[in-house]
Amino acid sequence: MNNTTPPTSLQAASEQAAAKIAAMPVRPKVISCPICGLRFISYDDLNGHYISEHPDSIPPIAVTLNVNGKNCDLIIEPQLTLKQVLQFHLGLTGAKEMCDRGACGSCTVIINSKPALSCNILAAECDGKIIETVEGIALIPKWKPLIDAYCKWDAMQCGYCTPGFLVAAKALLERNPSPTVEEINKALSGNICICGTYPRHAQAITEAVEFMAMEYANAVERS
Amino acid sequence: MADLAGANGNRENFRVVGKPNLPGLTSYAMATGVAKFGSDFTVPDMLFAKILRSPYAHARVLSIDSAVALAIPGVTDVVKWDDPIFSEVGNDPMAGTKPSFLLNEAHKEGQEVGAIVIAESEALCEEGLRALKIEWEELPFIVDIEKGLDPDFPAIRGQEYDESGTYGAPTITKEGHPWMVQHYPEDPRKVGNVSWSTKSDGDVAKGWSEADFVLEYDVNVHDVVSLLPNPQASVAWWSEQNMYKHGETLRIEGAVGRRGMIAQMYGLPADNVIQEGLFQGGKYCDWGLRMSQEITPLLSKKAGKPVRCCNTREENFDMCVNERHAHIRLGVKKNGLITAVEDSTVIDHGAPNSSEMTTYDRDWNGYYSLKCENIIQRYTIVDSNRSFMYTCGQFVPYSWDMITVGLYLISEKLGIDPTEIARLNLHGPDSQKDTRPVPSFEACLEEGKKLMDWQWHKAGTKRLPDGRLHGAAFRYQMCPRHAFLQYFTKLEYRDGVVHLPTQGPIAGWFGTECFTMIAAEELGLNYEDICVDYDYRAQHTDEAGGSDGVTGHGWIVKECANILKKKILDAAVREAEIEITRFGPVEMPKPPSPIKGYTADELDIADGKVFVKSDPSRFVPFSSATSETITAEYGGNSPKAAWSTEFGRKLDTMNTSWCEVAVDEETGEVEILKYGVVIDPGKVIRRTSLESQIDQVVYFSQGAQLLEEYILDPETGVKLNANMIDYRKPTTLDVPVVDKGVLETRAGNGAYGASGIAHNLANSHMIVTAIHNAIGVWVDPPATPDRVIKALANAAAEKGVQK
Repeated sequence: MNNTTPPTSLQAASEQAAAKIAAMPVRPKVISCPICGLRFISYDDLNGHYISEHPDSIPPIAVTLNVNGKNCDLIIEPQLTLKQVLQFHLGLTGAKEMCDRGACGSCTVIINSKPALSCNILAAECDGKIIETVEGIALIPKWKPLIDAYCKWDAMQCGYCTPGFLVAAKALLERNPSPTVEEINKALSGNICICGTYPRHAQAITEAVEFMAMEYANAVERS
Repeated sequence: MADLAGANGNRENFRVVGKPNLPGLTSYAMATGVAKFGSDFTVPDMLFAKILRSPYAHARVLSIDSAVALAIPGVTDVVKWDDPIFSEVGNDPMAGTKPSFLLNEAHKEGQEVGAIVIAESEALCEEGLRALKIEWEELPFIVDIEKGLDPDFPAIRGQEYDESGTYGAPTITKEGHPWMVQHYPEDPRKVGNVSWSTKSDGDVAKGWSEADFVLEYDVNVHDVVSLLPNPQASVAWWSEQNMYKHGETLRIEGAVGRRGMIAQMYGLPADNVIQEGLFQGGKYCDWGLRMSQEITPLLSKKAGKPVRCCNTREENFDMCVNERHAHIRLGVKKNGLITAVEDSTVIDHGAPNSSEMTTYDRDWNGYYSLKCENIIQRYTIVDSNRSFMYTCGQFVPYSWDMITVGLYLISEKLGIDPTEIARLNLHGPDSQKDTRPVPSFEACLEEGKKLMDWQWHKAGTKRLPDGRLHGAAFRYQMCPRHAFLQYFTKLEYRDGVVHLPTQGPIAGWFGTECFTMIAAEELGLNYEDICVDYDYRAQHTDEAGGSDGVTGHGWIVKECANILKKKILDAAVREAEIEITRFGPVEMPKPPSPIKGYTADELDIADGKVFVKSDPSRFVPFSSATSETITAEYGGNSPKAAWSTEFGRKLDTMNTSWCEVAVDEETGEVEILKYGVVIDPGKVIRRTSLESQIDQVVYFSQGAQLLEEYILDPETGVKLNANMIDYRKPTTLDVPVVDKGVLETRAGNGAYGASGIAHNLANSHMIVTAIHNAIGVWVDPPATPDRVIKALANAAAEKGVQK
């Protein structure tokens, strides 16, 4: 068996997601000039080097992103999108790129509590912001019924767009805990699934909502 | 035709098979974002590559000056088409031959051509591409296939391409396409950009003489893009360290399930190619690898570092359907019985090496489901620079709806319900001469009528209370099942657990879940009891030829599970005879086994126990039935399916689809009021994914007929809408709820009498036919509001002229 055997339970998947979040670097391992390769102790030193040695080039920028509860100090090229930084700097692959221009919702993340398209936002714009990705959502027990229902109802076929749908669904339920089917379809209308799984999402979300309401009622009763 | 040949084919009681809502084995990985697709792989110290794409529909690169590009810091290399390194890679065996892996001539806009830039980031690759000084020679192109029919138009491709094999088609020789030469020797060979192929069956002249009237109509099938969800990408690197075999080892991620093909291209033993990623993304029968998935090993070798190459959305804009224009004549008797069929079709052949699936092969269509045996099909095939199709798409076979429209037009002319016209014309189960009803069709028809509350009316005669016009359409088809692939399964009982080793690709049809359910069913276990071991070296694959192949592969799994079961029971009998347990030199007496003294035939497995059939209180736990490790293997072809061997001449499992629309004459808006599908997949293996497949096919059909349009600039041959904003796919707000009826006649011959469902539900003209039934005017797909209004206006103008 190889080391990429996929997790077949939510617990195992959450553990892998947690490992990915734990592996995100909190600061750059090396600060180096992308043009000449020289290494520096601080970002300010790098910036100074740019001004003196590469005056015609735009220097990398320093940003702090709070991703899934973890502050990550990064030095990045200013043209990178949040999606690119999540993948290439932080190793998170939950936000996917399908359309490359904000038309498909596969790259959906939550920024400061609002769903956003990470392929259409520069990481530079996210400095100091709180970003949630599907990997982070997978760790929160509250959303277990949502993920369970997605898996139970096959609200995915090839699975590529699924994380984007799930993040959009979570964002919907945060602002509307008991949406109607029409409200669900409207909230997910920015997400494209080429496999055509649309009816499954409303089914899964509706069932998750019922389950979560029941759990809440039971908790109230117990207390 | 049912699954009579195999073990337990006629099983009546199912504990696992058919169950809904069992989570997919990899669903949690996909939902939580930990599943890695090709474009998700990143490796430390990785370089990036981007391939030059032609800005012209047909052009040749004469020279490339890369000095400026190479001077950009971070651009590490520019590899040109004439670099000797390309001699180190063979052609993708699935794609057929071409003069070299990277050419200096592009046959469509956006085709890879001329050079590849390697750099430290994708942005630098793009900067490098922009900095190349390229001398292009623009060449004549065809994006309007009518233009390609002009015998004076210069040939747009060299003869070398007429000798090349392409996806799914036999190799073309200098004498012409061997299949054509064999079957249609009377056809002229290629002239200019045009080939011909005529297939004639029965006595067409007799068919015309028997007809009371002739119906003539056009069916225009437009291009549909396959729009694979994930960017087709790979990352590759080389190493001397390997786990399984000495020598240079290639690790490639992204060419999922095509490890063997990559090994062949690079002349490596398969064991020296490692590929751990499982997730391929949706394919919809667009099976071909893109250059971005094949080239990275070569570039990595040159660069001495890992290299990643990833297509953009625009670069992944390949065809699911190439356009075709059919002009059809039907000879029809007064009662609606078809006596002759003449189909004259002009087909886009696409760019060189584009798939020829169904371009030449005319067997695979709906005509042979008719009693009428007098059929002539004349195909005119035009080379073009429009597009490229890899293998085929969901809509193959394309010609089923030629009959949907024909049956509808007969019903309109005679004022008879089209379901009755279909019933009259459909031949029986065994041959075109068989006049018996097809039980599966009859069942799907009756169920569909109930589901839809079917009340047929003539075109333009029903108005809804809100003033819109109502239209309805119906179609039937055969449920598909692939039977042309060889399948293999290995099951292993180890440490008390049954293992199913399999490799990817995981692409959305839940094949391994179906196989697991079948194995559990046959072994008396639960779904969760089977341990699926994902291993890229496993011979068993999830692929199965797509969703329609799963039930055939499932038949192999069923046989294998029964072999394993027998072996386990034999071993349990042996184990029961053992009276002493040995721990090294120590011998301990073993308590007598409750199943001691019974033969394997007297034992069975259920509920986690191996028990005595005549006395179930005598059992041993399945997990300790034997200490032996037992393997079972089974491979070969599943029973031949009528769908893929008889092409409609025999009919087993069928389906019916139904659609009701409302059309607003003022705005041209079309609303699907109701979409019904009644299928007979023979036997449901995994209900949740089966129903999901129906949604997927309807989604493709709806998108193709109402929204999706591939637009090329006729002046330049350049794509104008190669993105997901301008090329519209349906969203959650567009799709109809699909009412489903699922029947189980057990008439197929996959596992337990199962067939597939996907291919033949995909339709190009049922919704369009319903629109005609509403407004009495044909609208070529996609029936967007502007096209509906235009068609109505044209019809009104024609009427005015006639008056």
